[in-house]
Amino acid sequence: MAILSLQNVSKDYLTDGQCVRALREVTLEVSCGDFLALVGRSGCGKSTLLNLAGAMDFPTSGEVLVNGVATSSLNDAGLTRLRREKVGFIFQSFQLLHTLTVCENVELPWLLAGKPAGRAAARDRLAWVELEELEDRYPHQLSGGQMQRVAIARALIHAPSILLADEPTGNLDTETGNNILLLLQRVTREHNTATILATHSLEAAALATGVVRMRDGKIEEIVR
Amino acid sequence: MGHFILFYRLLIRPLFKEPVRAFLTVLSVALGVAVVLAIDLAGTAATGSFRSSMDTLAGDHDLEIVATGGVPEAVVGSVVSLPYAIHASPRIEDFAVLPEKKQTLPLIGLDLVAEASSYANRLQGAPPAGSENYLEHLGKSSIWIGESTGYKPGDRLELLINDHSKKYIVRGIYPDAHGNEGAIVMDIAEAQEALTRYGRVDRILLKVLPSSTLEEWQQRLRSALPLGVDVRPQGAGTNENRRMLASFRWNLRLLSYISLIVGAFLIYNTISVSVVRRRPEIGIVRALGASRKSVLAAFVGEAATFGFAGALIAVPLGRLMATGAVKLMGATVDALYVSSRPGVIELSVSSVLLAFAVGIGVAVVSAYSPAREASLVSPVEAMARGRREFDVRVQKRRDLMLAVALGTAAAASSRAPALGGKPVFGYLAVILLIAASALAMPAFVALVTSCASKLLGSLLGVEALLASRSLDASLRRTSVLVGALSTAIAMMTSVGIMVGSFRQTVTLWMNDELPADLYLRPAGSRSADRHPTISLELADKIAGLPGVAWVDRVRVYEISYGGMPATLASVDLKVMRPYKQSDLLSGRPIEQVLANLRDSNSVIVSEPFAYKHNVKIGNSVLLLLGEKQGSFRIVDVYYDYSSERGNILMDRNTLLQYLPDPAPSNIAVYVAADAQLETVRAEIGQATAGYRVLMTSNRDLRKEAIKVFDRTFAITYALEAVAVLVAVMGVVGALLALVIDRRREFSVLRFLGAAKGQVRKLILVEAGLLGILANCAGVALGLAMSLVLIFVINKQSFGWTIRFHWPVAILLGAISLVYVATVGAGIYPANVAVGLNPLEVVHEE
Repeated sequence: MAILSLQNVSKDYLTDGQCVRALREVTLEVSCGDFLALVGRSGCGKSTLLNLAGAMDFPTSGEVLVNGVATSSLNDAGLTRLRREKVGFIFQSFQLLHTLTVCENVELPWLLAGKPAGRAAARDRLAWVELEELEDRYPHQLSGGQMQRVAIARALIHAPSILLADEPTGNLDTETGNNILLLLQRVTREHNTATILATHSLEAAALATGVVRMRDGKIEEIVR
Repeated sequence: MGHFILFYRLLIRPLFKEPVRAFLTVLSVALGVAVVLAIDLAGTAATGSFRSSMDTLAGDHDLEIVATGGVPEAVVGSVVSLPYAIHASPRIEDFAVLPEKKQTLPLIGLDLVAEASSYANRLQGAPPAGSENYLEHLGKSSIWIGESTGYKPGDRLELLINDHSKKYIVRGIYPDAHGNEGAIVMDIAEAQEALTRYGRVDRILLKVLPSSTLEEWQQRLRSALPLGVDVRPQGAGTNENRRMLASFRWNLRLLSYISLIVGAFLIYNTISVSVVRRRPEIGIVRALGASRKSVLAAFVGEAATFGFAGALIAVPLGRLMATGAVKLMGATVDALYVSSRPGVIELSVSSVLLAFAVGIGVAVVSAYSPAREASLVSPVEAMARGRREFDVRVQKRRDLMLAVALGTAAAASSRAPALGGKPVFGYLAVILLIAASALAMPAFVALVTSCASKLLGSLLGVEALLASRSLDASLRRTSVLVGALSTAIAMMTSVGIMVGSFRQTVTLWMNDELPADLYLRPAGSRSADRHPTISLELADKIAGLPGVAWVDRVRVYEISYGGMPATLASVDLKVMRPYKQSDLLSGRPIEQVLANLRDSNSVIVSEPFAYKHNVKIGNSVLLLLGEKQGSFRIVDVYYDYSSERGNILMDRNTLLQYLPDPAPSNIAVYVAADAQLETVRAEIGQATAGYRVLMTSNRDLRKEAIKVFDRTFAITYALEAVAVLVAVMGVVGALLALVIDRRREFSVLRFLGAAKGQVRKLILVEAGLLGILANCAGVALGLAMSLVLIFVINKQSFGWTIRFHWPVAILLGAISLVYVATVGAGIYPANVAVGLNPLEVVHEE
């Protein structure tokens, strides 16, 4: 069964009184173990699709099902719970909290969920990304690649079913970016997550098990 | 012009995008300036433009002849018979109460016969002018009264004078604007009869020729007049009172500046935030050719804009606040210093200009340091992408060393003596303490937040961990905010401790100073300088009642000593008083010292008197009493908190030798051991029928005294409240700025699974932490300031010894209220944080 299913989903935004259709009748199914690359120009709707897939927003029409649960049937608290349990986010700018150490950053979603101290789980995730020796450092003491690894470890703390990465290599040099992509690929394989990657990178597309080409809010082509 | 357009677009226009925060900053400045302006205006009206009520209808004379207990009438004859062209106007001056209006007015007796030509036109009230000969009404219970009282010619009214009431007829009214006051005027003979003050007048006003200087005239006249009589420039009494009120006014001014200091902190914070946010823009404009000076000028200009806008609001607000302030100040002046009616509040051009100068000046000075930092920003560094947010490195260690140095300087300053009678070094010590606290704040905040963050996290959850880390990460901002709030709390704490200590000292002092069972005084409101008398036969009647062990007849006179008003009092030392402890500075048993006073030219003086006039045990004071001059040896100094004027106390028999009027100002009644208090009280009530006297029990008198005490500090409480309000508004503004600057962080938290309530909790915990930090720092600073207030400023201003006392319950209550307000200040910023759309903030498409 698909862990993530978008069924004829459209999303409109109001910008300065004007209605902008960011997604048009998109249908997509993603299963555990899939490593999908979303490609397309800026403004084609990649981020909007990721937001809907990550239960950060509601579709204007159509249905988004995460693990069989329709997101539009949930209120804000319900979406939050769903996100905590099922989804991990990775951002282009890493988005680490500079006031927390590496280990504390990884542990953060665990603590936000009200679970008891997740230090052991955080160390475990850091080991997955091979950064266990840097647990007491602060983000400003890390390189870009290291910061992104920490962000990946953080996204994995809940052992999510879905991993969403928005341009994860956008702020990295080529070699570092490739290493990150390989890491994401390994994580997807080893932990059977469904990974969706919004990217401009051809290398990412080459590593993916499927490529979803988007244009003007529509899916032009899905190549698996 | 181009610079001005750029200034508007880059610095002013963005302020409209954060209207709430900008408004809070402007309002902080406005409140600080308004308070300063209000105290200044009210002070001028209540004290600075103080004019003795007794100068009503005084006209323009050169000199006045005065004497304690009154000038003998014969002196008038002596003066006019001198071979000089001197015009002499004798006056009787006292107070009368209008019972129906519960109003006390000056009562002035003028020689309406000898000076008919001077007064006829001024006092004529009945139309048509000149048709009535006012001399026909003399001696027929006739009075003339000021227009502002609202009475008309022909009205009948009752006057309470001393302990008697009598009905009078209004014969005319006089205009009492422009320097005169609503007073009751009667012929001098009628006034002497009403006051039973035969053979004496209170003042003789003199008009002399300009052929000699006033000093020469004074010398000439002194040589021709009895020893006990003084000749001085007219209005000297007013000047003496103004000097006495100066300390009171200065202390209030200092308190009003605290709000301004709190506002200054907030301006500093606002401009610092502005500089941090605009670093990339600063880099861009510098790269495009802007000079360092223009960057400095831009941020100083931003601060000046806040100052200007704040002053615009402050002027009408300050004028409004002055109306309330003058009432509060007037009540204090009346209770502790001198009868007065506050003058008109005048918002002059100079006051308005002062408000703008203060508002803009404080804002510019506060903003200079962050503005200078902005001008030093290197364009390349500022525009570099991918760097983490810049936060000016705080020199914690250096600032802490400076704080220690300033604290030491404050301690040294507090030991310096008064300068010109003003506790200048005491004020300096307070300012140094505030500065030291501000400099020590970064180290304090860093220490507490770094030590406590893990503990907070485990106690209150991850939100508390994030909150404390965030405060530590933006250390400069946090320190300034905590500095502002703690300064306001310190003011509240220090004044609270000072007032609490003073209250406790007065309460304990009253235990011994009010040993009698019942007290009687003439009816009418109290004032520090009004001492109406009770008929001697009434005092004798009460003394003869069964159940009355003895009666102490206390007589009080207002005198002038060393150019300052003072009080001379006599007590009946044959009366055996029970004293529990010594209230004398020497610590000697009071019975022993009072025995020394009996029937001798010895006196004891109050602590304020000894301090003001720099006298001590063994010194002598020369007093002009009646027609004589007497030298009196000071045998001890006693604690006295009844007024700030300074008292001299002697035996009744001694005073009667100089001033033979035996009528007492008040009576203390000691009930016999085998008598019931209520029975005696009832008997006295019957004995006083027909007299207008008030009888109060010991307990009620103390309660009343404490009520008066509390009322006199109402204005200081109001000033504290404003300072705290300014600081709490600053917390709202600063938290709003933090929320906006950390919106990316809050959005990421939402992505990571934080619920809206958790984001709200984070902000509220930050507000709570700020409150705790500020409370701790504020109480510590407040304690240090209270020591300076009690042992230096108060002592050097008024001469009182106050025993330190912790008003724990009041302080706890006040601090808790401020804490709740601080957490409450986080509600609006928390709602803003929760309302942010994470999608808009985080994604970078």
